[in-house]
Amino acid sequence: MARIDITDLVKVYDSGDESIVAVEDLDLGVKDGEFLVLVGPSGCGKSTTLRCIAGLEDVTEGSIHFGDREVTDLRGSERDVAMVFQNYALYPHMTVRQNIGFGLKLSSSLPSAEIAERVESVAEMLGITPLLDDKPKELSGGQQQRVALGRAIVREPAVFLMDEPLSNLDAKLRAEMRTELQELQHDLDVTTVYVTHDQTEAMAMGDRIAVMNDGILQQVGPPEDVYRSPANEFVATFIGSPSINLLTAEVDGTTLSGPAGFTYELSNPEPVEGRSRVRVGVRPEDITLVKGGSNRATVSVVEPMGNENFCYMELGEHELTARIDPTLRPQAGEEVAFAFDESALYLFDVDTGEALKTKTDAVAAGIGTEAR
Amino acid sequence: MSTKHTSDGYHRLWDRFRSFRRELTERTPSLTRSQVAYLLISPFFVLFGLFLLFPIVYTIYLSFFEYQGVGDGRLFYVDLGPIFFEVPRIAELQFVGFGNYTSMLADGLFWQSMFNTTYILAIQVPIMIGLALALALALNAGFVRFKGVFRTAIALPVSANIVAYSTIFLILFNETGFINYLLSVVGVQPIEWMRSEFWARKTIVGAVTWRWTGYNMIILLAGLQTIPQQLYEAAEIDGASRWEKFRYVTLPQLKPVLLFVVVLSTIGTFKLFAEPYVITGGGPTNATITIVQYIYEEAFVGSPNLGYASALTVVFVAIVSVISIVQIKIGGDD
Repeated sequence: MARIDITDLVKVYDSGDESIVAVEDLDLGVKDGEFLVLVGPSGCGKSTTLRCIAGLEDVTEGSIHFGDREVTDLRGSERDVAMVFQNYALYPHMTVRQNIGFGLKLSSSLPSAEIAERVESVAEMLGITPLLDDKPKELSGGQQQRVALGRAIVREPAVFLMDEPLSNLDAKLRAEMRTELQELQHDLDVTTVYVTHDQTEAMAMGDRIAVMNDGILQQVGPPEDVYRSPANEFVATFIGSPSINLLTAEVDGTTLSGPAGFTYELSNPEPVEGRSRVRVGVRPEDITLVKGGSNRATVSVVEPMGNENFCYMELGEHELTARIDPTLRPQAGEEVAFAFDESALYLFDVDTGEALKTKTDAVAAGIGTEAR
Repeated sequence: MSTKHTSDGYHRLWDRFRSFRRELTERTPSLTRSQVAYLLISPFFVLFGLFLLFPIVYTIYLSFFEYQGVGDGRLFYVDLGPIFFEVPRIAELQFVGFGNYTSMLADGLFWQSMFNTTYILAIQVPIMIGLALALALALNAGFVRFKGVFRTAIALPVSANIVAYSTIFLILFNETGFINYLLSVVGVQPIEWMRSEFWARKTIVGAVTWRWTGYNMIILLAGLQTIPQQLYEAAEIDGASRWEKFRYVTLPQLKPVLLFVVVLSTIGTFKLFAEPYVITGGGPTNATITIVQYIYEEAFVGSPNLGYASALTVVFVAIVSVISIVQIKIGGDD
């Protein structure tokens, strides 16, 4: 177990005369025993960051510490980390037993009886005891996933690293493994860095999530903070499903006016003072359909989810999404009026995307701190 | 219009073709589905039977006879009045039973050639495959530059004509040749490459290795490149050293390819013929005569001894098959 401190990490790939900056000036601390999720779109540098922590990539600049131990220039084999790969990377010619025990055999001085015992107990914990003498190719994806996990767990490493470990599983199994993985990490209490491009997974699993884009760390924080108070427009867009609705509005005193006749009257114009234009954001769940109102949009599609409906609407050229009550079934082509509270409103700088105002509605009693 | 006329002519021709085709279809006996299938695959079997199966069977047949010259007269004939054909005797043969095989046991030159072939094989194949593997590993490593150039250069000897390159080896390793000149430059006594039993065999080993290392390297390199990079990363994380990665990832992953290369090289070297024939002529005093060379000499040099040569061939094929099967059994997938 260890704290991870990443300081001013830079990773540049040189290919001939071209150099690509994969990670730029990353500062990140992971607390001892914490489950940190690195999330971002493809090519954002999250996997590269993980591979730098693992020691599979050289660091161009900056340093990485595990606790008080500097590991920046150590080889992966000397760092005491365990990693679960996206496609599991099990050794095809070894049995499950050999796969799980391989790391201990190489990196520890344990007697083979002790290794065998540990492999058995990990296999039991993961429910793969009957598979111990099978080869990886005889296993299903989910079983291979468990073996890969077992291989990581048995080492009792200082740090767990997981590179999209669930993305090759089907949706149902993925949800199951998500829960199981969280429980496992909680029980083992090992510092874990988990990479995913799936924001739902990130929200669900992380103690904290770190959002990356274009090699730059955008924001780190507990999932609900990142959701409610995104640092910028990118984070607001990336976190949350369906995505936040965004449009550009002109500012005139306290009035915001957007495309297709959209207007909104701010009671607190402070965030937009001195600005002529601003990006307006509203989460789909904060939009309500109302009877009568100045803001109107045309319904294009309604997707019934069972417990709620996703209502896609057109506001001029813009698409708006609202999560509405399943009893509401507006028809395609129907013109509806919509509204939202100012407390639910997000405002971003037009040029930098920096957040000017985020959600200020009270975290409802019952899910807040009072309830604990 | 001229186009209309042409088009009319075309249609008329097409109609004639169609009526011809219909007539043909009606006249030819109809075939069942399986008959058509057999008809379509028959060319292969005809060619296979004529050029592969018959020679094999006839070789085995010949091995029980003593060859006494080209046959005259006929083996049998068919006389159906207007149709008459005869199959001539290929050879004048004297049945000797297992005579050819028993005389092999007492044939010193047979044992000599077997020994020579095995000796060359036992040295040449391990050296060549070791070298090919080392080169493939080096070319597969990240740090080597100009990979393409090296790869091509190393594989190039494969395209050399066997007799041509053997001749060049003959010239290079001549007593007054370039190799001895180089040795004299660094102060080493010239070596009697062709007159010493030891060095003559090493010259053959060198020549064959030069010709085939690149070929095997390409196959091994292709095998190395199919090993997923992630396995090495997983091994790195598991704490493996460079050697342990080779031992626990590369070797087991490369095993099928390695086995293929070993079997192929063993068969190839066992069939060695042109190199000793051109470079050493089998000498000195039969020290480099190989089994295939001996078969060739029995069969075609001096008074042809086809029966005995056939028996030698049968034994040779049996030995190669046994060795290959053993290799596959030992190295094959568990």
